[in-house]
Amino acid sequence: MNKKNIENIIALSEEMRWQIGDDFHDNLAESIYADASKIVEDVVTKDYQKSKFRLDAKIDKIVTSRIWGFPIMLFILGMILWLTIIGANYPSSMLATLLLDNIHPVLKMVGANIGFPWWLNGFLFDGVYLSVAWVIAVMLPPMAIFFPLFTLLEDFGYLPRVAFNMDSLLKKSGAHGKQALTMSMGFGCNAAGVVATRIIDSPRERLIAIITNNFSLCNGRWPTQILLATIFIGAVVPESYSSFASLSAVIGIAVLGIFFMFFFSWALSQTVLKGEVSTFNLELPPYRPPLFWKTIYTSLIDRTLIVLWRAIVFAAPAGAVIWLISNVYIGNESIASWTVHSLDGFGFLLGLNGVILLAYIVAIPANEIVIPTILMLTVMVTGIQGGEGNGVMFELSSVTATAEILKAGGWSLLTAVNVMLFSLLHNPCSTTIYTIYKETNSVKWTLVASILPVIAGFIITFLVAQIWRILI
Amino acid sequence: MIYNPITALVSFFGICILLFFVFRPKKGIYFLLKKAYSQKDKIIMEDILKYLYHNQMSDNSITTNDLTNALNFSNSILIENLKKMMENELLVLDKDNYKLTPKGNEYALQIIRAHRLWEKYLSEKTGFDKEEWHERAEEKEHELSANEMNQLSNLLGNPKFDPHGDPIPTSKGKIARRKGIPLSSLKENTIGKIIHIEDEPDVIYKQILAENIHLYSTIRVIENNSNRIVFHSEGEQFILAPIVAGNITVLVFEKEQINEENIARLSSLNLSEKAKIVGLSKECRGENRRRLLDLGFVKGAVIAVDLLNPLGDPKAYLIKGTAIALRENQASKILITKINDEK
Amino acid sequence: MMKNKTKRACDTCTHFNADGLKKLGVKTNDFDFVVALAGNPNTGKSTVFNALTGLRQHTGNWPGKTVARAEGAFEYNKQKYKLVDLPGTYSLLSTSEDEEVARDFILFGKPSVTVITVDASRLERNLNLVLQILEITNVAVLCLNLMDEAERNNITIDTRTLAKDLGIPVVPTSARFQKGIPELIQTISELANGKIKCKPHKIKNIPQNIEKSVQELSRKIEDEYPNISNSRWIAFRLLEGDAQIIEALRTGKIADNE
Repeated sequence: MNKKNIENIIALSEEMRWQIGDDFHDNLAESIYADASKIVEDVVTKDYQKSKFRLDAKIDKIVTSRIWGFPIMLFILGMILWLTIIGANYPSSMLATLLLDNIHPVLKMVGANIGFPWWLNGFLFDGVYLSVAWVIAVMLPPMAIFFPLFTLLEDFGYLPRVAFNMDSLLKKSGAHGKQALTMSMGFGCNAAGVVATRIIDSPRERLIAIITNNFSLCNGRWPTQILLATIFIGAVVPESYSSFASLSAVIGIAVLGIFFMFFFSWALSQTVLKGEVSTFNLELPPYRPPLFWKTIYTSLIDRTLIVLWRAIVFAAPAGAVIWLISNVYIGNESIASWTVHSLDGFGFLLGLNGVILLAYIVAIPANEIVIPTILMLTVMVTGIQGGEGNGVMFELSSVTATAEILKAGGWSLLTAVNVMLFSLLHNPCSTTIYTIYKETNSVKWTLVASILPVIAGFIITFLVAQIWRILI
Repeated sequence: MIYNPITALVSFFGICILLFFVFRPKKGIYFLLKKAYSQKDKIIMEDILKYLYHNQMSDNSITTNDLTNALNFSNSILIENLKKMMENELLVLDKDNYKLTPKGNEYALQIIRAHRLWEKYLSEKTGFDKEEWHERAEEKEHELSANEMNQLSNLLGNPKFDPHGDPIPTSKGKIARRKGIPLSSLKENTIGKIIHIEDEPDVIYKQILAENIHLYSTIRVIENNSNRIVFHSEGEQFILAPIVAGNITVLVFEKEQINEENIARLSSLNLSEKAKIVGLSKECRGENRRRLLDLGFVKGAVIAVDLLNPLGDPKAYLIKGTAIALRENQASKILITKINDEK
Repeated sequence: MMKNKTKRACDTCTHFNADGLKKLGVKTNDFDFVVALAGNPNTGKSTVFNALTGLRQHTGNWPGKTVARAEGAFEYNKQKYKLVDLPGTYSLLSTSEDEEVARDFILFGKPSVTVITVDASRLERNLNLVLQILEITNVAVLCLNLMDEAERNNITIDTRTLAKDLGIPVVPTSARFQKGIPELIQTISELANGKIKCKPHKIKNIPQNIEKSVQELSRKIEDEYPNISNSRWIAFRLLEGDAQIIEALRTGKIADNE
């Protein structure tokens, strides 16, 4: 080949492009479709009267109807969440008994018997093992229920109809109808929700969905909300209403998250993301009966285990860090208690305390270990009875005992409310941050997605704290 | 300092207000400083050239006074720059009026090229709103080098017109002349095609945008008097004030070239009707246009409404065997003729 | 002529040799042939992929599921095939990320065979992509999937005429139920070994002025790169101003064979 000739060809093509004008792409697309319809005319015979599968049309009429569309949607999503939360309780506590109460002491004993020094024993089994075990016990059962159910709906073809119904609501905040689904997925796990944004093929709307996914209260945070609501919110109302009050509080937090999702979607689409290309199209595929067992299997392998694996990879070092900061002393104070004391001032401004802030810092890898870390740190800095020693996370089976420790740590109703708010509004866990980076391939958007919710959390808890103190 | 929730709240709102004044869009201190800092001679000179060029095209003569009134620069800076430009043989003073020299004319055309190419780029390759194109191009036009302009032009497929229908000068300064007359001066029953929508002044442009009038659409004037101008286009009726209509340029058809009465927008298709696609409006641009073509929204395709939405928008359309949902603003840019299915 | 040869593929295929098949899952090293799997979203492409490789990649009833490339392998008659599942796209003309991945693989990855999966009940829509792929590559097989759905919708397809019109073999399948997969494997193997020759359809119906430009450009490209087979398609891309193709033309990457 000859370099000069090539350049000539390119120059010629540019000249031709100028002559043909804007319509080249249109013309080409039209010609291809013209060829296609000619071929189809030859080879396809179709009974036009029955061209659309009848049952499909009937289902579509119902699930997108004015009256039934939204109730059906809410019912199905509510059902899935309910099944997940209720259904996960039993296997979760079984796993916790097995991994935390039975295997953990055995491991420590074995470690001591084969002559591990106390620090190695503590580091490995109280730090690394415990946090991994915690994550598995809390995370695995709900995900193993939530993802297969969601995947079944997906395979059936119902989810595009949800996107279709929801689009005009989401459009108002500059988002895509499919964000309704990635959000719902986020209720299971934000990392999975971020991966699910692949279905959004418009660059701007996809970024919006990725950045705001963290406002869906994920599986790792539901237990925290439920525990705190039961202890503190349930206690302020008469006994007979307490479970209703705490349930409403948890739902209120989730709804607040949805509100923030709408608000930040809108704000992002009006500011930093305004220049990104935005398109919309939504194919409504025909319904297909899902292959039940295959779906269960693939969703377990593809979603649950992959997400769980990533969480474990991140949780192990977190456990190590938690153990280390509680057991490494500078002077006569451990790193943990020193940090807690220096964070106390800022924590107070936000209606929180140093223990909570430190717990959220070290528990970036997994929201599941926030409460155990808080309990351990509280016992450590207050010096009250309880727990199993420095750096050993624990949780108590009795809600009253947990409440006593927290109250001894100086918790009031305000603290609980603000922890619930902060649990909703803080940076995504490290699994999610990593996933966001992989999906966007951009440090900038990963930073935005990580920092935006923390700032929102600081502002909201700060405002709540000040107003609370003025009024009460 | 002793903590008090009220003090804390007050200082918080104080910081918020401060941040607001510093970073308020356009009027914030930060932006004002940035703008003041960037008001270099190059920009002043180029703005003068552009202003003179546009006025020469419409045969207005321009004095120093006109320039001071039209451009947002102080008198002294302006005069200093005008002097410099005359030394550089970009302008000459003819009595009280400034005129562009051929060299000045050429320079002005390059700035206009940069401006229009950038508007075209914004319309094709980004998601910015129509309303923002002009303002962004006003800034960018001073930054593009000749080489960058050529690359941009290539990337965009060497476009001839910008998204408002204005011709883009070539790198050699060739520029197509726009024909056509203002919509406000058309007689009743005239048929023509909208070939240009002026984007200045902003107030009038926004009114035109709000009406959803499409560039390159065929129109028929129904009524024209001193109060209002009524015309039909793409199956819809539009009513404009004469001053607004004056900013729309129409190329009048000699004879009735096409029967435009049957053309309608897809958004007007009802549930039981069927239609054939005539084409995509030129207002459907960039990635959106490509996607729609890829999905089979091409000339001749038969289309029907498949599903309505509980909230009204989007609607699902059945095209080539598949249900595809489109939003109203997309559907309004797909042109159809309805098919009477009475066989 | 060539047409008879393509017909032969459907009439008298050599019998599928079931003993010769081994599904290798993700073991994709040491292969004899690379097979690309392309198709529209939601045509059961991933199901075909799983049926061929024995893998269980998740296949959602969602347009646009596979974004990254997935790879798998199978062995048939002692030859190893690496199968690459490309992202589902409606077209290769636009510039989205998925389309670029798919297009680059077919163009630069030089697969031995490209399997194009289409939804039998939406053939017309799917042919848009098929015709574009046939402009790029000469060795392809049409996997007419979801035949069960088409039957339910009372759609019948004359596969023989379709094969003749497209100039490539056509294999009807229902991958969900493993129907047609042996025939597909047999056809892939015959294509890879050069036992079937294709004469793919080229896009007609192009407006005259464009057609003339395309012909002129493609002739000039062939002068420079004599053994290039998709000069027409390159001409399309040049007229579209595709920066990547212009670059590939400059560096000669466009003509690298194997």
